[in-house]
Amino acid sequence: MATKKLRRARLSQELCERLSRHQITTCQDFLCLSLLELMKVTGQSYYDVQKLLCKVSRACAPKMQTAYEMKLKKSVSPSSAFLSTTLHSLDKVLHGGVPCGSLTEITSPPGCGKTQFCIMMSVLATLPVSMGGLDGAVIYIDTESAFSAERLIEIAGNRFPAYFDSDEKLFCMTRSVHLYRDLTCGSVLKRIMSLEEEVISKKVKLIIIDSVASVVRKEFDTKLQGNLAERSNFLARGASMLKYLAEEFSIPVILTNQITTSLSNSPAIQADLVSPADDLSLSE
Amino acid sequence: MQRDVGGLPLAPALRARLVAAGFQTAQELLETGPCGLSKEIGISKEEALEALQVVRQACQGHAARTAGGPDTTRNCTALELLEEEQAQGFIITFCSALDNILGGGVQLTKITEICGAPGVGKTQLCMQLAVDVQIPECFGGVAGEAVFIDTEGSFMVDRVVDIAAACVQHCQLIAQAQQEEDHLKALETFSLESILSHIYYFRCRDYIELLAQVYLLPDFLSEHSKVRLVVVDGIAFPFRHDFEDLSLRTRLLNGLAQQLIIIANDHKSAVVLTNQMTTRIGQSQSMLVPALGESWGHAATVRLILHWDNSQSLMVSEMCSFQLSLKMQKILKRTLANGHGEKRKSNSDSKVEC
Repeated sequence: MATKKLRRARLSQELCERLSRHQITTCQDFLCLSLLELMKVTGQSYYDVQKLLCKVSRACAPKMQTAYEMKLKKSVSPSSAFLSTTLHSLDKVLHGGVPCGSLTEITSPPGCGKTQFCIMMSVLATLPVSMGGLDGAVIYIDTESAFSAERLIEIAGNRFPAYFDSDEKLFCMTRSVHLYRDLTCGSVLKRIMSLEEEVISKKVKLIIIDSVASVVRKEFDTKLQGNLAERSNFLARGASMLKYLAEEFSIPVILTNQITTSLSNSPAIQADLVSPADDLSLSE
Repeated sequence: MQRDVGGLPLAPALRARLVAAGFQTAQELLETGPCGLSKEIGISKEEALEALQVVRQACQGHAARTAGGPDTTRNCTALELLEEEQAQGFIITFCSALDNILGGGVQLTKITEICGAPGVGKTQLCMQLAVDVQIPECFGGVAGEAVFIDTEGSFMVDRVVDIAAACVQHCQLIAQAQQEEDHLKALETFSLESILSHIYYFRCRDYIELLAQVYLLPDFLSEHSKVRLVVVDGIAFPFRHDFEDLSLRTRLLNGLAQQLIIIANDHKSAVVLTNQMTTRIGQSQSMLVPALGESWGHAATVRLILHWDNSQSLMVSEMCSFQLSLKMQKILKRTLANGHGEKRKSNSDSKVEC
């Protein structure tokens, strides 16, 4: 929206040409200038510039919804609001399961079973809706090379023996789990940015990133100057893209994180290493 | 009428030509008339007429202001202001300790900023306020509508449904206990559907959409004149990352703050912003301070900083329990506009369980 060209914001042709001579071509450039600068650049009076500002703002502003409309939209398809984890106590606490349309973070000390949980959720997402799944493909971004296809088949065969009764069904399920091994921050970010088209073309219904913390920890040593800012930058960009995907397509996104110890005046506590959703970066 | 030509809101090129031709005051321009002006400056008669209309409009507005008209600035005594402020309602938060600290609740015509670590409850508080602003006047509310501008995507409709249902139930209990005519009448229109329909939600994904929305807000508020609360949930989020030019950021934030102040005053509504916390690394130790820098600290009239009392994060167990009674202990401190790291302690220090 910000990069929308002024032409498409219904400004007149000659005004657009005049502005492009000052290197102002997108709505972003236009809205970042103050009123006086705009008057100088467009050569128009104060009141006209205000009207222009409203016009350009209308081109980029978001649409209004009332909370009631949002509720109605959700209640139209209640079953698709959550992906049930089939673990009853977890589902009870989460009020139904992993919510669609938002990011969910799984965090724990090592060895608790985060990767296993992710593999299980991949199986669940490929199941048909009648069995509590989402009947879609899964994108699994693996940064630790911990994904095992054998384990995937083992879980599927043992949990749903009635459904996966033939090899054919198992292979069909594995074909819908798309695995990407990205071992550096840069490649993970590039992958996330390119996900939009994949989600549409492959009819993806679940995105899993396992794990964000390991790749960030490998590359960013927060004791070095400037690394903290770069790390938060990377996390924020990834997080906002993932949020956009989750909301736009109404799919769940699962991220895994690691635990570190935060040393401060109070006794040492265990806390999340990186917090992609909010920016409170804790030091190790 | 004695207004200087250089200060008129005309196009800069035109203004430069007028000054070069020797015009000094607006009065001179109006006396010359459009034909004379067009001959002297070398512009067409239509352009000259347009320019004179702009000048006339500007001078009328100016005259109205200096004569003490109801336009933008007013002269009044402090007593009148006091009476006005006392007669104004507050938006209660349903947490009595918080309301006590704030002096009754969130004040109208002022900007309130809520800062805190992630997960402490800022968005929950905003959602609560969006429901509480709609409480009818006979129950002690301001009977207004709410605009919710979300930049982080943490608005949960189901949660708002829970809060609204609890609020309606609360009012019903009061009405039953007191059995007054107007209470029952107000309850007819105060229902779950009406509460949800009067929360206007905007989802802004980056700072440009936020700026655009705030530019359009005055028009929106003139159409929906009953709005008494504007919430911007996450004013820090779009500005904190990927912003190389810090001076541009400061300028944009200041512009935003100015516009929000104007909106709060002109439309008699409360503006609530939420901010994140960042770590400021000092010489010997580092501490958590509100984000966006010190110049942003001047934007808000009231700044609430929320902390966790225990060093343990109670997030997981508290997921389902934020409603009218908060089970976790919080230390709520109130600081005024220029409060930041050093000035966190204020006189109303209270450890509360509300």
